[in-house]
Amino acid sequence: MVDITIKNLTKKYGNTIAVKDLNLQIRDKEFFVFLGPSGCGKTTTLFAIAGLIKIDAGEIWIGDELVTSAERDIHKPSQEREIAMVFQDYAIYPHMTVFDNIAFPLTIRKAEKNEIEERVNKTAELLGIYELLNRKPRQLSGGQRQRVALGRAIVRKPKVFLMDEPLANLDAKLRVQTRTELKKLQLDLGVTTIYVTHDQVEAMTMADRIMVQKDGVTEQIGTPDELYNHPSNLFVAGFIGSPEMNLIDCTLVEERKGFYLDAKEFRIPLPAKMPSELGNYIDAEVKMGIRPEDIYESKSSEGPTRENAIRMTLDLIEPVGPYLLLHLRAGRIPLVATVKHTETEVGQEAIMEMDPSKIHLFDEKTTQAIM
Amino acid sequence: MFLLPLWTDITTSFKSLNDLINTVPVQPPLSPTIEPLIAAFNIMKRPLLNSLTFTVAATILSCLLGSINGYALTKIKFRGSNTIFLLFSIGIFLPYQAVLVPLVLTLSRLGLFNSLVGLILTHTIYGITITTLLFRNFYGLIPDSLIMAAKTDGAGTWTIYRRIILPLSLLPFVVAAVFQFTSIWNDFLFGVTLARGSEAMPASVALANLKGTTEFNWNVQMAGALWYALPILIIYLLLGKYLIRGYMAGAIKG
Repeated sequence: MVDITIKNLTKKYGNTIAVKDLNLQIRDKEFFVFLGPSGCGKTTTLFAIAGLIKIDAGEIWIGDELVTSAERDIHKPSQEREIAMVFQDYAIYPHMTVFDNIAFPLTIRKAEKNEIEERVNKTAELLGIYELLNRKPRQLSGGQRQRVALGRAIVRKPKVFLMDEPLANLDAKLRVQTRTELKKLQLDLGVTTIYVTHDQVEAMTMADRIMVQKDGVTEQIGTPDELYNHPSNLFVAGFIGSPEMNLIDCTLVEERKGFYLDAKEFRIPLPAKMPSELGNYIDAEVKMGIRPEDIYESKSSEGPTRENAIRMTLDLIEPVGPYLLLHLRAGRIPLVATVKHTETEVGQEAIMEMDPSKIHLFDEKTTQAIM
Repeated sequence: MFLLPLWTDITTSFKSLNDLINTVPVQPPLSPTIEPLIAAFNIMKRPLLNSLTFTVAATILSCLLGSINGYALTKIKFRGSNTIFLLFSIGIFLPYQAVLVPLVLTLSRLGLFNSLVGLILTHTIYGITITTLLFRNFYGLIPDSLIMAAKTDGAGTWTIYRRIILPLSLLPFVVAAVFQFTSIWNDFLFGVTLARGSEAMPASVALANLKGTTEFNWNVQMAGALWYALPILIIYLLLGKYLIRGYMAGAIKG
C-alpha cells in the first residue's frame, strides 16, 4: 500500500507563495495528475514529494512513513525515498550508454551484476529499446531518450513514480502515442504515479484523478468526469475542455413559471427542479457556463418561437474534422458551438438551442459554482 | 616571425663557444654540439625535477579542488554561496606581490619555507581561485535536472560528483590543467621568494641563475631555456586539440 498524504503544505520563494496550504490524499496505485498553467505550483509540489526542495510548513507521508515535516524538521533526502522521477528534459546522463543509464539506480545500490543485467534487459525489452542499449544518448531521438528516462525510473521498482511533464518535449503525434503507452504501463506495473502537466487533454485522458492548481492554490480535485461535468469554479470551468466552455454574464430572474437567465440579448429558462440556494441569487449578477457541444441548432418545427431558442448570427465555421466549430453571435455576445453538420451559411441567421440541464451557474464574486 | 626567438634558442643551444662568437644568433651552428645542452641539463637537473614535482602536484590539486568548489557553488545551493564566489573572484585579481610578505611569514611559521610542500601549497591555493571560476562556469551549463535525476536515482552528493560531474568534466580539466601548469611552471616570483638557493629551488630561478655575473655562456643559457620550455611544449602538443575544444566550450549538452 503506497498512498501519499500531504498535510497543510506551504512553500514560499522569498515573498512569493508557490504552494499554499495544500491538503491531498493520493491513493495506492492511483494515476494522479497535477494540472495547471505554468507557475501554479504543480512542479513545486512534485519536487517537495521527491524531497528535492524543503518546504516551509506541512507534512508529507509516503505510505505510512513521514518523509517530510517542516514542523518536526524531518527531511528525508531524495536518494533515500523510494521514488523514481522522469524529467521534462529526460535528464539522462550524456556520458553513459543507454544500458548504464538504465542500470544507474541499481549500480548505485550495489546490486549483483547478474541481477542488473537481467533487470535492465527486461526493462529495455518492455520499452522496445533493447537494440539501443549500447548507444550513447546523443545518438538517440527525443522519443528514444524519453524511453531511456522511463526505463531508468521503472528498473528499480520504486514505490512511487513522479513525472514532470515527461511528454512536453515530444512532437504532437509521438506525444499522443506515448501517452497511451505510459497509461498502459502504469496500469501493468500498478505503481502509484503523480504526473505533472499543463496540458488538460493529457490530464483528462490519463488520470484517475486530477488536482487543478492555480497560483499555488488547489482549485478542485476530482475525476476527469467530475472536473468536466461539475467544475466547482470558473477557473476549472474555463481551463478544462477544448474548445472552452462559453461563459456569459447574466442576471437571474424569477417569474411565475420559474427561473430565467437574462443575458440582455436573450433569455433562457432554467429546469423546473433547481436547488433551493438559487433563491439567494435572484436579481443578482451570475455567470452562466455552457459547453460548446451543449449548444445545437434548433430542429423543432416551432423554430424561433420555442422558449429556449436563440437567434444568432453565424460568423465563422471552422471544420475540425469530427465536428464543425461554429463561431456565433447573439447580439454582442460571442458563443462557440460544436455541431456535426449545418446548413446555415456564414453571415446568415441561425436558430440555436441550449440544453438547460447542461447549464452551469457561477457566483460572479466568489467565482464558485452555484449549480 | 614569432617563431624566431625559438629558432634562435635552438640554434644557439647547439653552438660551441667558438661558433657563438663567429656566427650571427639566427644562423645555424657551423659544427653542432650537444655539450651546452648537457652542461645546462647537469646544472638544471635538480631544479627541473623540483619544478616538475610541485607544478604537477599543485596543478592536480588546484584543478581537483576547483572542480569540487565549482560543483558545490553551482549544484549544491547553500546560504552565502554567491558571497563565497565573489570572494573567490576577488582572489583572482590579487597581485602576487600583495601577498608576498604574509605568505613568507605564514610559510616559515608552518616550517614550510624553502620546501616543495610550501610551493605546492602556495600554488594550489593561488590557483583555486581561477580554477573555481572556470569549473563553476562550466558546471553552470550542466542542467540541474541531471543532478536531481541522480538524486532521485539514489545517489548522494559525492556519488553524484564522482559518477556524473567528474566524467563530464574532461574539457574543463584540460583547460584548467594547461592553464595551471603553464602559470605555475612559469612562476618566478614565488619561486625566488620562497625557495631561492635551496634544495627546493624551481627551474625558473635556476635558469635565471645560469646567467653568471662575469661569464656570458649564452649557449648554456639558451640550452637551459630549451630544457625549461620542453614540458610546456609537450603539454601543448599533447593536449592542444582538447584545449581548442575547451575554449570553444559549451561543447557538451545534457
